[in-house]
Amino acid sequence: MRKRSLFFLTGAIALVASLVIGPAATADSQQAGGTVVIGHDQEPVTLNFYITEGNAYTTSLAVNPVLASASYYNQNAKLTPYLVAGAPRITKAAPLTVQFSYKPNARWSDGRQITGNDFLATYRTIMNPNFDITSREGWQDIARVQVRGKQVTVIWKAGKAYAAWDALVATSPMPAHKVAGQNFNDLWRSSIDVASGPFRFVSWQKGTQLVLQRNDSFTAAPKAKVGRVVFRYIPSTPSLFQALQSGEIQVTEPQPQLQIVDIRRNNRFKVQSGPGYFWEHMDIQFGPKGHPALKQAYVRQAIITGINRAQIKQALYVSPGLVANPKELPVLQSHIFKTFEQYYVPHWRKWSFSQAKVIQMLTARNCTGGPSRPAANNNDIWTCPNVGKLSFRFTTTSGNQLRGLTFEIAQRQLRSVGIELLPRFGPAGTVFGQVLPSGDWDIFMFTWLGGPTSSATSFGLYGCGGDQNYMNYCNRKASNLLQKAQFTPDPKARAALLNRAEAMMATDVMSVPMYVRPGFLINNTNVKGPVLNPTQQGSTWNMQGWTVG
Amino acid sequence: MLTYVIRRLLYSIVVLFAASFIIFVFVSYSNDPVAFLKMQPTASEQTIQNITERKHLDEPVVVQYVYWVKDALFNQFGTTTIGDRPILPDLQRVMGHTLQLVIAAELLAILLAVFIGVYSALRQYTAFDYSATTFSFLGLATPVFWLGLMLQVLFVNIYLWFDVRIFYTANLSGIDPGTGIHFVLDRAQHLGLPVIVLMVASVATYSRFMRASMLEVINSDYVRTARAKGLPERSVTMRHAFRNALIPLVTIIALNFGALLGGAVVTETVFALDGMGLYFVRQLELGDPYPVMAWLMVTATFVIIFNLIADIAYGYLDPRVRYD
Repeated sequence: MRKRSLFFLTGAIALVASLVIGPAATADSQQAGGTVVIGHDQEPVTLNFYITEGNAYTTSLAVNPVLASASYYNQNAKLTPYLVAGAPRITKAAPLTVQFSYKPNARWSDGRQITGNDFLATYRTIMNPNFDITSREGWQDIARVQVRGKQVTVIWKAGKAYAAWDALVATSPMPAHKVAGQNFNDLWRSSIDVASGPFRFVSWQKGTQLVLQRNDSFTAAPKAKVGRVVFRYIPSTPSLFQALQSGEIQVTEPQPQLQIVDIRRNNRFKVQSGPGYFWEHMDIQFGPKGHPALKQAYVRQAIITGINRAQIKQALYVSPGLVANPKELPVLQSHIFKTFEQYYVPHWRKWSFSQAKVIQMLTARNCTGGPSRPAANNNDIWTCPNVGKLSFRFTTTSGNQLRGLTFEIAQRQLRSVGIELLPRFGPAGTVFGQVLPSGDWDIFMFTWLGGPTSSATSFGLYGCGGDQNYMNYCNRKASNLLQKAQFTPDPKARAALLNRAEAMMATDVMSVPMYVRPGFLINNTNVKGPVLNPTQQGSTWNMQGWTVG
Repeated sequence: MLTYVIRRLLYSIVVLFAASFIIFVFVSYSNDPVAFLKMQPTASEQTIQNITERKHLDEPVVVQYVYWVKDALFNQFGTTTIGDRPILPDLQRVMGHTLQLVIAAELLAILLAVFIGVYSALRQYTAFDYSATTFSFLGLATPVFWLGLMLQVLFVNIYLWFDVRIFYTANLSGIDPGTGIHFVLDRAQHLGLPVIVLMVASVATYSRFMRASMLEVINSDYVRTARAKGLPERSVTMRHAFRNALIPLVTIIALNFGALLGGAVVTETVFALDGMGLYFVRQLELGDPYPVMAWLMVTATFVIIFNLIADIAYGYLDPRVRYD
């Protein structure tokens, strides 16, 4: 072999060896307490989670451990005091007055005490009309905020007792000394220079990773056990699973994918699944642009009776093995409360699946042209007096496999009893931005994203003239109860009002509740401590307690 | 030559304006940037109103386009609709990443494809030629996303079986990429798989062009004359045949390079590379016309520039070509 060839060969071997050995040593180097790597399919746009641009689950995951909530939602969706000394309490019912105190050992990472002035700064910033705050709900009804050192008293306007007051005062306080005089829209875009939680922000390499480090000056609760947390952003879900398998990430909350079934069988990983505050449903249009037949209660009742909701959630989640136990994912029988909530009442259970009953209902109303009995190959569609053929436009987002499958199953089930569904799918931006608000649809399937306080604000979705009542549904009696519930701070009394309203809504069948979409949390077994959380608090809610081996 | 270049550039400006208007109208009509806000039960009406006014979303599309042109020309492509964030820094960042990927993939692809193409032509109808032809067709027929996923699966399994990390499956760098040689090696381990994926299609295309072009040249009269004069075969191949056979390939490479700078959408998505393609997809999903338009202008400019470079290079390599 010539000298030159030998030189190149040696060089090539050295390069390959260094590729294999060199960076591996770098990647394995961990700080005291260890490093946990979390993979996520979406990257935050900004770190300011108060403004619209930062209003995303992925932002909460990364920022909640830095700008801690005064109280956080635990795995049972119960508020747990964190920066506050004991649970905030109602000191006066009318006008609603709530009092709480920050813990004496709750401090900002720069050494300043967290005080009532920080809550006041939060209130003023949120109410500043120049800032793109996502939601001012509840804040806009506050009459005044009184501050005495660490103690805060919030007084709402008379008659505007905000039902979700406990969630409002649980908001992460903003550091008054950092937000003063700032354009809040521009604050914390790429970094956060202060922390109130168990971690502090270190760096954000956009498009790749965001790094947090243990906040050693945190004293409000036990310090974090892991030294560092790295969020890696991988948009493709199949790639996220490959990265998990190869140890590039250790924890992830994936979209429902069949790879989860394989991961479940691998003892290197722990898979948790459970319902969250995402509920899938089919709304029915009552407005002038909707099909006239849908204004008839018997038609809506026929539709819900003709859809086998249990079979759909079985086909989507249980049969493929995505959900280990079918009991984890019951059919949703309420629009207001989720299946795992304390005040859940299955009002919609009365609409159990029965194809024979659908035909009976439509025949009794003098509808004609439909089948005499259910048949899988039926092509006869009912026509009902004064409302025409029972053929409806079914709108949802394109490119969503689970929704596509839901449509196919529902379409077959209804067709076999003489009701036709015609697909009108479109990109999310178009169907949500233009089609849904226009009211120019018949049946629209989508998911509402909410939280533990969503039930309190049901008026917006189902009340007469509610901001997000795109169905144009209006039942005056139910609407009045929903409106009253908005301003009923006592949870038990509020739940009673909401359940009375829902009983009426269930008879009206203004929408078909489907199921609560399950969430998934997977972690490598060398990370101990991750627990699935059904709220927007996300999987990092107890990150301070995680350990890595 | 100068007149030709200036004329081409002037045409390009007209093309850019026409393209920008059409795309702006399509993006604006197909998406509502504040749609996701309207979908939230507790969204603040005040905030939606602020954004609508700031970005003139309540004006006719033509008026919105005029505002965009103003921002694009005098305000570095302006800011995003939601958040009012400057667009240019993000675009510069992703452009740098795409350049790294595309330059590495194209350089390696050219070297390999030229070797395969020339050798296949010189050894026509041999086992090597048939193998190269088969692999080229396979390379052209293989879907990029499938190849990307298969490579990920392969290298994940190599890691699991042998505990040896050759390539990473996602992102542009490691958690602690280090500095100096460690940084370079870390980047190479992260770019390895996407470079291979991009290379496969390019090698398949270029090698076929190179082979065809080389076959045409080595059978031409002037090459036969060179051989008849008694020139050594190596000199005939490299000096007389090879340079002339490169001409059509240069054109293909320049056009492909210009198009790739817009981002390898699928490759960047599969390997989570923060490049132009992934940026475009993310912004399109958000339905924000401003960043989408900025991306379009940058990529369209690259395509135009590389088209021009291809034309100029053609004239340089082939003295028979003259520009009017």
